[in-house]
Amino acid sequence: MRVLIVGGGQVGSYLAGLLLEQGHTVTIIEMHEATAVALRHAMPNVTVVHGNGTDPGVLEMAGIHNANLVAAVTGADPTNLVITSLARFAFNVPRAVARVNNPHNTWMFIPEMGVDLALNQAEVLAHLITRTML
Amino acid sequence: MRVIILGCGRIGSGLAARLGYAGHHVTVIEPVAAALAHLPEGFRGRTLVGDVLDRRILLEAGIDHQDALTAVTPSDDVNIVAARLARLVFRVPRVVARVYNPRAVEIYRRLGVQTVCTTTWGISRIAELLSYSELEPVASLGSDVDILDVAVPPLLVGRPVSVITVPGEIQVAAISRGGRTFLPQPATRLEAGDLLHLVVLAAATDHLVALLRQ
Repeated sequence: MRVLIVGGGQVGSYLAGLLLEQGHTVTIIEMHEATAVALRHAMPNVTVVHGNGTDPGVLEMAGIHNANLVAAVTGADPTNLVITSLARFAFNVPRAVARVNNPHNTWMFIPEMGVDLALNQAEVLAHLITRTML
Repeated sequence: MRVIILGCGRIGSGLAARLGYAGHHVTVIEPVAAALAHLPEGFRGRTLVGDVLDRRILLEAGIDHQDALTAVTPSDDVNIVAARLARLVFRVPRVVARVYNPRAVEIYRRLGVQTVCTTTWGISRIAELLSYSELEPVASLGSDVDILDVAVPPLLVGRPVSVITVPGEIQVAAISRGGRTFLPQPATRLEAGDLLHLVVLAAATDHLVALLRQ
C-alpha cells in the first residue's frame, strides 16, 4: 500500500518505520527543513518532502493522487483536519486517519471532515489507566 | 441577520462594527480577551472569550441558529475548519472564511467553503490602482473594442469633446450630466461632474490614458 504521512515528528516517523517493516511504500511531508533532512538520513527508504501539508501543491508533489491512505499526524488539530478534508474530498484518497492532539477537539474529527479514523493518544491513555489501574 | 464572527483582529472587529451598525445581531468569539479592545466604543453585540473551535463556546454563541458565520482568525487552517464545521455540523446557511494562501482558494471553493483571499484581493486591487483603475471596461464589443465609463478629469473641464476624440480609436459616445444622458457634438464643452461613456479600441487604451492625464 502507498501511505502518505503528513507530519514527520515522533508519531509520524515511528509510524513510517512500522509501515516500512510491513512492506508498504511511505512518503512523509515535513514542514521543518532540519527535521526533513534528519528524516532523509535516518530513513533512506522513505520519500521525504519538505513543505506545508495543507498546501495542495505540496500534497500533489508528494503523490497524493496515488496514495491509498493519508495519515495526518501533525501536532496541530486544525492542520490535521484540513489535510484529511483535502485528501478525502479534493484528492479522493480512499481512506484518511488523523491524530487528535487535544482531547477537547475530538468532536471535530468526523467523516464530514474527511476523518475515517481518529487517533486520540490522551483519550486512549486515560481510558486505559482508568480501566486497568483503578 | 444573526451572525457569528470568529476572531477579533482588524478584520473581525471592523466587520463586527459595520454589521452591528447596520442593525445585525453580532456575536464575536475571540481567544485573547485583550483583542476585544479592537471593537469600537458602544459596540452592542455579544462577545465571548474562548477558543473559536471549542464546541461549548460555539453552542453558547448560538451557532445552531445563526444566519451567517465568518472565520477571520489569523490562521488559514482554523478558518477553513471552522467554516466547514459551521456548514456541515451546524448547518449555518452562509459561511465565509478568510485565507492567506491563494493556491488553496479554488480547492476550498470546490469543497463548499466560500473564501476571501486577502492576499489575492490586495494584490489585484493595488495593481488596479497603480495602472489607472478608472479604465476598467464596463462592456466589451468583441475582443477589440471596449466601452469605458470615465469621470471627466478636472483639467479637461471647459474643453470641447473633440480633445478626447481620436478618429478610429476613441469616441465619446455619450455623456451623463445632471441625471440625464445625451449624445455630444464635437464642440460640446465638458463640465465638472460629467461621466463620459467612451468607445475605445482596446489597443488605444494607452493613448486614452495620455489624453486623460494631459
